Amino acid sequence: MSLLELPSNRTEGWRWSDLSALPEIVARQPAGTVPEALPWIGCAREGPRLVFIDGKLAADQSNLGTIEIGSVQANPADHALARLVGSEGWKLKLGQDHAPQGLVQIVHVTTGGADHLPAEIELDVDAQASVVETYIGEGWANRLTSIRLSRGARLMLNRRLLSSAGYVSLNDHAVIGEGASLIVATLSAGGADTRMDGQLTLTGDAAFAEFGGALLARGTQRHDANLAVRHEAVGGMSRQVWRSVADDKATCSVAARVEVARGAQKTDGEQSLKGLLLSRTATINAKPELEIFADDVKCAHGATVGELNRDALFYLASRGVAPQEAKALLTQAFVADAIDRIGEEEVRDAFHENAMAWLGGR
Amino acid sequence: MTDQNVRNQEAQDAVDRASTYEWGFSSDIEQEFAPKGLSEDTVRYISAKKNEPEWMLEWRLKAYRAWLTMEEVSWAKLDIPAIDFQDAYYYAEPKQKPKLGSLDEVDPEILRVYEKLGIPIEEQKVLAGVEGARKVAVDAVFDSVSVATTFRAELEKAGVIFRSISEAVREYPDLVRKYLGSVVPQRDNYFACLNAAVFSDGTFVYIPEGVRCPMELSTYFRINAENTGQFERTLIVADKGSYVSYLEGCTAPMRDENQLHAAVVELYAHEDAEIKYSTVQNWYPGDANGVGGIYNFVTKRAMCAGARSKVSWTQVETGSAITWKYPSCILKGEGSVGEFYSVALTNNRQQADTGTKMVHIGKNSRSTIVSKGISAGRSNNTYRGLVRVNSGAENVRNFTQCDSLLLGDQCGAHTVPYIEVKNPSAQIEHEATTSKISDDQMFYAQQRGLNTEDAVALIVNGFAKEVLQQLPMEFAVEAQKLLGISLEGSVG
Repeated sequence: MSLLELPSNRTEGWRWSDLSALPEIVARQPAGTVPEALPWIGCAREGPRLVFIDGKLAADQSNLGTIEIGSVQANPADHALARLVGSEGWKLKLGQDHAPQGLVQIVHVTTGGADHLPAEIELDVDAQASVVETYIGEGWANRLTSIRLSRGARLMLNRRLLSSAGYVSLNDHAVIGEGASLIVATLSAGGADTRMDGQLTLTGDAAFAEFGGALLARGTQRHDANLAVRHEAVGGMSRQVWRSVADDKATCSVAARVEVARGAQKTDGEQSLKGLLLSRTATINAKPELEIFADDVKCAHGATVGELNRDALFYLASRGVAPQEAKALLTQAFVADAIDRIGEEEVRDAFHENAMAWLGGR
Repeated sequence: MTDQNVRNQEAQDAVDRASTYEWGFSSDIEQEFAPKGLSEDTVRYISAKKNEPEWMLEWRLKAYRAWLTMEEVSWAKLDIPAIDFQDAYYYAEPKQKPKLGSLDEVDPEILRVYEKLGIPIEEQKVLAGVEGARKVAVDAVFDSVSVATTFRAELEKAGVIFRSISEAVREYPDLVRKYLGSVVPQRDNYFACLNAAVFSDGTFVYIPEGVRCPMELSTYFRINAENTGQFERTLIVADKGSYVSYLEGCTAPMRDENQLHAAVVELYAHEDAEIKYSTVQNWYPGDANGVGGIYNFVTKRAMCAGARSKVSWTQVETGSAITWKYPSCILKGEGSVGEFYSVALTNNRQQADTGTKMVHIGKNSRSTIVSKGISAGRSNNTYRGLVRVNSGAENVRNFTQCDSLLLGDQCGAHTVPYIEVKNPSAQIEHEATTSKISDDQMFYAQQRGLNTEDAVALIVNGFAKEVLQQLPMEFAVEAQKLLGISLEGSVG
């Protein structure tokens, strides 16, 4: 594909990335094999369910509900991966005070090749929705999601990246209006490399944004996140909570930025980036960045990198917990910081289960 | 005089001080210039002027040729106007005098400059023969050439070599050749490479094995002639088990043209050696509209080569229109220690992008970073730092704290830390906060009778205390005053 011009590590936003596998995946043909059982989350209030196989809607397995398929307004800017997504995708548009009948679930199955898909979520005044996206299979799933929240709208967007191999790249652009709230939580617990880009902009007063997740990597996997939350209005609040776990020769990198524009007074921004190294050859990179142009703001970030606390391990050992189990328990607690922020209980439990399954695979 | 009068007088003084740059004087001493512009001939001219040996000239030319192939860096959060490297003088020295026997023979004009710089407090006592005065050895770099080095005899008794670097090139070629460029290679970055080609003068210090340097060493830099770039080169080598504390202070006169300052500082610490390097930087920052001011593009790096070696950087940065500076430590020795304490204050239209790099290679190496950024006026202040732990570095500890204080709603404060860890036994902690002076603090200070400006100065000094207390006594006092002066006009 001639469109595939990839940035190098010399570009600041890609300094910890490795995109070398992509050209080979792009050249592959998808196998088209879809597993029998898809990872749906059982919940009391069923909403729309969509299955995309290699970026195309599998209509027979989907229940669209309020979601439309069609031309999507999403601006890839000049992002090397996002500009590949095209213009046909899924849309969730809700009018004032509306909500889907239940949890929106979307499963993306990639069967070996590369697929690209844009999406658009637009919530009018006081509308609300909860969306879970799950990525499985192998190959390269490339996504661009544009989000617009009007006054008082609320969106929870939770993602599981469970692909067994290949690459998943997600790019989010969100504009958050007055008093609106956006929570994006992501769990990377598969075998694929991942790249996340996000630009959340709080344009209305007293808006809220939360951007976080858990990145679990082993083997030679690489997870790479490059995110920015921008405060443009007064009294906004943002939280970025990221937990990285790297085993074997894996690398987890998180670059997260809080930007406070001139005049965005009373902003409260917080970042917490923590990394856990489980082996001698793993790497954790972190770049918690603040860019502040207003004086009456509260912005803080904390970052730590280390291994499991020896005192905690000793304590568990003294209680008769086997070392392997103790490690898993503490790692689970470490990861839970990021996942516990998910609102719906069923969703949260499902995410915890996936994280546990990953930890159990050690 | 009544109290009222005294207070009026003080107020008037403060206004006078605020309206001009206190140390913005300029003195006219005959200068000898290299021809304007930069070419191989300029490099040869500088080298010839300094009677340098052939290898030194070759070293410079190699750097110059490398520089031609390099590009200016653009990643810093700085707005740097294009610099015309051909429109500057690369060498200026006070007109040649016969070799001086003592300070008395120095041009009285130069002595007056020193006086204004505040050197004399200690120095004058010594010159006047006062016994028991605390000893500080001063190697004053007046524009580009070290005019005089005092205390040489006493230092020599201890075996300490304290020379201008051009003297050292002639007198200790083996030592200089061994270490020059060993910490900051020629091609390290654009400005370091330029410095390697055209460095005019600087300081060379060698502390022999087991020696604790008997006094604090100090260099006062000063840019004087119009349109002369200042390219200092400092090289400090501490041999096994030695200790040295080095002070670097800068002031520059008021000029309307941007001046380039691209220094390189290399520190090399052997086993059990300790180097403490303190800087108070107060170059001319430009006027309230950002006209004039120094561009301060400095490369400072320390190699903690030996086991248990230690390097401590302390800096108070209040001057310069643009500051681009990252004093770093390569912690190669086992159990080596790196420290970085910084206060960076920007006002008006100043820009500062400063921080540190701590590269952990040795086992059990430790580092501490404390950075305090204060932004006022329309200035921008960025902390940019890297903490890297290589895979072989067991049990590394790092603690980083960077706090920003914003005064006014037109300035900016930014934090860009990079953390790269490849060893699980490392413990890395990073904390950062951003705040402004709270109304409570101001109210408290004011109801105790302090005016707004004094109250702000007091609170800012408290904010920066952790760093200021790392400075040697003489510097700490000067630095506190500087913070207050630099903030004048930014509040109220």
